[in-house]
Amino acid sequence: MGEARGGRLLLWGKGADRASEFEQVALVHLDALYRSALWFTRNRAEAEDVVQETCLRAFRSFHRFNPGTNCRAWLLTILRNVFLNRVRKEVREVPEGDATFWESSVESATAVGLADDNPEEAFLQTVVHGDVDRALRALPLVFREAVILADLEGLSYKEVAEVLGCPTGTVMSRLSRGRGLLRQSLRGFAREHGYLKEKP
Amino acid sequence: MNCHEFEARLHPYVDGELTVGETAAADAHGADCRRCAELARRERELRQLLRRQPREAASPELRARIVARLRGAERRAALRPWVLAPAAAAAAAALIVAALLPVVRPPAPLVGDLVDKHIAYAQIERPAELASADRGEIEEWFRQRAGLRITVPDFSPSGIQLVGARLAETHERKAAYLLYEKGRTLLSVFMVPLASSDAALAGTRVAYRGHEYLTQERKGYRTVSWTEGQAVFGLVSMLDYDALLECADRLRTERAAQTRL
Repeated sequence: MGEARGGRLLLWGKGADRASEFEQVALVHLDALYRSALWFTRNRAEAEDVVQETCLRAFRSFHRFNPGTNCRAWLLTILRNVFLNRVRKEVREVPEGDATFWESSVESATAVGLADDNPEEAFLQTVVHGDVDRALRALPLVFREAVILADLEGLSYKEVAEVLGCPTGTVMSRLSRGRGLLRQSLRGFAREHGYLKEKP
Repeated sequence: MNCHEFEARLHPYVDGELTVGETAAADAHGADCRRCAELARRERELRQLLRRQPREAASPELRARIVARLRGAERRAALRPWVLAPAAAAAAAALIVAALLPVVRPPAPLVGDLVDKHIAYAQIERPAELASADRGEIEEWFRQRAGLRITVPDFSPSGIQLVGARLAETHERKAAYLLYEKGRTLLSVFMVPLASSDAALAGTRVAYRGHEYLTQERKGYRTVSWTEGQAVFGLVSMLDYDALLECADRLRTERAAQTRL
């Protein structure tokens, strides 16, 4: 570690150089960070706070970032932690350890499967403005974050796994369930709009 | 590939996450099976719908604000290198000594909370509310601020320098938090009055110079904790246990000397 640090310090030199390097390497992802924060928080002011805190934290631990690895995934990891910390603070008490919290959400969503789907339905074409937003908001966080990262931000399974700190197999199952739930919500909205007949 | 295998790989298939061989096998199955081909089409359609969502950009104001904060952080950090390098600081060493006040709800493990606090403080720009290397000044500050009478130990013989202090809170009690550094390394000390409802401290029992301590590793930090008088103390650090126990013993000795006066 001492060796790596020494090398990096030489590379960075002093003063404003370091901030400039951070701007070049990390702040190019500011829009992506802001978008993700917006999807996470659903609130502009909060999203800006989250992004700002994320950038400051990332700047302070910039020496830990390994050049050549994915900077966006690294930043999104920090962003997610900032967001989760805020959520935990608001909720006051989230049960000890994320696993319990997450897995109970997973349980409740496993009921959704292919059985409910009719491949012939073409309701997605009827999705109106705001439906996706509404459906995403209704998605439990554990699935929402997987969908945000993979589908909205276009991260690979490996990158999503890195951000969420879970195996790629888990990413796959969360995406699968998350998309299933999203489709279910969107189908519900299509019914509301009268594009889809109620099931008998 | 049969329908069952196809369905199991549906998501990685549409996401382009399968190997070339698996993708070819899935393509081949899709060409033969209308139902599976339809499943894949539908998943792709949902993906496209999501990717078509409006993509907002960060405002120029937000960008400017962040850049200004970065430059500010950099100037401040130049004065104290370990603030800039919390991970390096953590990796090298960090130490938390703690003592407790009255508890209201069943506490999460105290030591865990101290480790979390240490990590959190290592990330903020000015972890010390009172930046001072003057032990007397810090003791007086705690007395006036919170009515806490504490001993600020001198770890300088071990090359660990006092940096400052802050009033922390854990388990709804005020805790004295002392901040030390060794080289680039952050070291924190908490002290909180003991409550009758406190659960016994957990960890492995270790005897050092005639006293017993509990050691425990959490999140990569080593912790040493003990109860003494009306307080619980805990050290959390990346330092080795020898160094932590040496600090614990010094704090104990100084407290004893002060109490005698």
